[in-house]
Amino acid sequence: MRSLVATYGRGLTALFCGLALIWLLGLIVLPQLFMLERSLWWQEQPAEAFALTKRIDDLYNEVSLLEFDRRAAEGEEVAQLEARIAAKRAEIAELEAVEVAPVRVYGLANYVKMSGLHFWIFVKTIFYAMLVTLLALVVCYPIAFAAAQLASPANAALLLLGLVVPYAINELLRVYAWLMILDYQGVINSFLAWLGLVDFEKRTWVPFLEYPGAVFVAMVYAYVLFMVFPMYNTMETLDRNQLEAARDLGASTWRTHWRVVIPHARPGIAVGCIMTFMLSAGSFAVPQIISRGTGGDWFSQLIYRQFFESFNWNVGAAYAFTLLLACIVFIFLVMRLAGVGIRDIAK
Amino acid sequence: MAAPPERRWGEAVLNLYIVVFFVYLFAPLLVMSLAAFNDFQYPSVTQWRGWTLRWFGELARDVRLQQGLINSLLIAMGVIAISLPCGLAGALILTRLESRWNGLLYGILVSPILTPGIILGISTLILWRNLGVPGGLFLACVAQSSFIASYCMLLFMARLQRQDRTLEDAALDLGASNLMVFRRITLPFLTPTIATAAVIGFLQSIENYNTTVFAIGGQWTLVTEIGSRFRFGLTPVINVIGVIFVVITIVCAVIWTVLRQRERQMTIR
Repeated sequence: MRSLVATYGRGLTALFCGLALIWLLGLIVLPQLFMLERSLWWQEQPAEAFALTKRIDDLYNEVSLLEFDRRAAEGEEVAQLEARIAAKRAEIAELEAVEVAPVRVYGLANYVKMSGLHFWIFVKTIFYAMLVTLLALVVCYPIAFAAAQLASPANAALLLLGLVVPYAINELLRVYAWLMILDYQGVINSFLAWLGLVDFEKRTWVPFLEYPGAVFVAMVYAYVLFMVFPMYNTMETLDRNQLEAARDLGASTWRTHWRVVIPHARPGIAVGCIMTFMLSAGSFAVPQIISRGTGGDWFSQLIYRQFFESFNWNVGAAYAFTLLLACIVFIFLVMRLAGVGIRDIAK
Repeated sequence: MAAPPERRWGEAVLNLYIVVFFVYLFAPLLVMSLAAFNDFQYPSVTQWRGWTLRWFGELARDVRLQQGLINSLLIAMGVIAISLPCGLAGALILTRLESRWNGLLYGILVSPILTPGIILGISTLILWRNLGVPGGLFLACVAQSSFIASYCMLLFMARLQRQDRTLEDAALDLGASNLMVFRRITLPFLTPTIATAAVIGFLQSIENYNTTVFAIGGQWTLVTEIGSRFRFGLTPVINVIGVIFVVITIVCAVIWTVLRQRERQMTIR
């Protein structure tokens, strides 16, 4: 900090610190804390208070009924009805004076109350996200290796450009492209129909979209880049002579990868896995577009519904925090397994 | 020196794999683009009713999508205005701070990149709801900035680590004011990174869906509007947007390649 003041003076340093503080507190820490706080309470009315509220509602209904009668009434009935209305109104006023607003109750109920089904969806989502990560790792490893070690510089640049181009197209549109391929009357089913294997008239098409595999394919497709690039960056720094040496000393291809390439690329592999897992566990767009409610929910869709369909923000916040915890645990686990620090992540 | 047959096989398999992989990458885009020219009311390539450009016209008349694009651009401007200064401030502090809190501070400032987007959106929504601000363009802007600022910070840090600090010291010794050092030495040194950070921030902001969909409230951006069309009926207009994205990307990629090649030729000479 002293060197900052020495170079830029007090005024600028204060400005930098102020900006960083606004970002740190206003955009990162406080939102998370408020989300945590929100997940820890719910609104509740004590049982007797609930009865009271019900009684007040009933009275209001009776009053409106009586007023309706009064408008039709004639002669002495009017006075009679008005007296009854006044009596009811008095009772309402009396009860409302002692009525209590719903109180906030703090506790873990929003977490504990998660139903069996929702918990199952949570476990499934985490499991699927891991599977997507593993799949992406297997799919991308050869590509990253080829681009980093085997290809000539010009070819490598072309390879990387080819990887980036699909990524400039929006995630939703990328997934949408897969929807068109896997749909009931999509490209694959049309091909099968052409072969005479399925019949659209009889609706015997293969319901790809209802299989979890459809989401996997689209997700791997959507997040491939986040796996390839970190791996490519670390593999590129590997000296090619090491590969030659391993080969000259008689190591098989597998052994070379296992003992030379993978240990060297470990930080990149870890970062790729972390990014892919985080993106797929929190992915809202992919399952929403692909499954459209037919293939079972992912946890992210559940969270969305808590907020915008059941309007239960407290439970939604609890679910969101659960997902965040799962991601944090995964990140630390991978960092531990790969023996890399937080500093390695940001390359 | 001929490679042993085993290795040649290995390379053939790998090359085949690369080809398959790129088919996997590009075939879906081709299918999507083709459907934009199909004269059929549902997006499809298998039920071909002839070539048409009518969906381009429909897009030109689609007011909601146009408004969405304008909103996306507004948000992106806001995001750049917030993220660049914050990211730069964070980077300057982290590269200079010699304290045991450095690691923790770094961890917190990088954490939004590692946080699922929906959670960034949700937490921002909850915080600002308490302050009485409902979802909308402003919140989308704030929510996106939290993680885009982290990307900017990483870019600035990478650049600052290569900075020659003696230049600044020399300027100070020669009597430059602090402000002048920042304006005449630090900022010019960072200019290329500022441009890169602005472009990356812009793209990230335009592309974003997961965070925005929670923070946008009753407003919409181009991407959230596309997202809601998936629920309420799709027409090939969406494919037209895809085609436009593809064309813009390819044009940019070609320009980039040409520029790079020219640059290389210049350095060779």
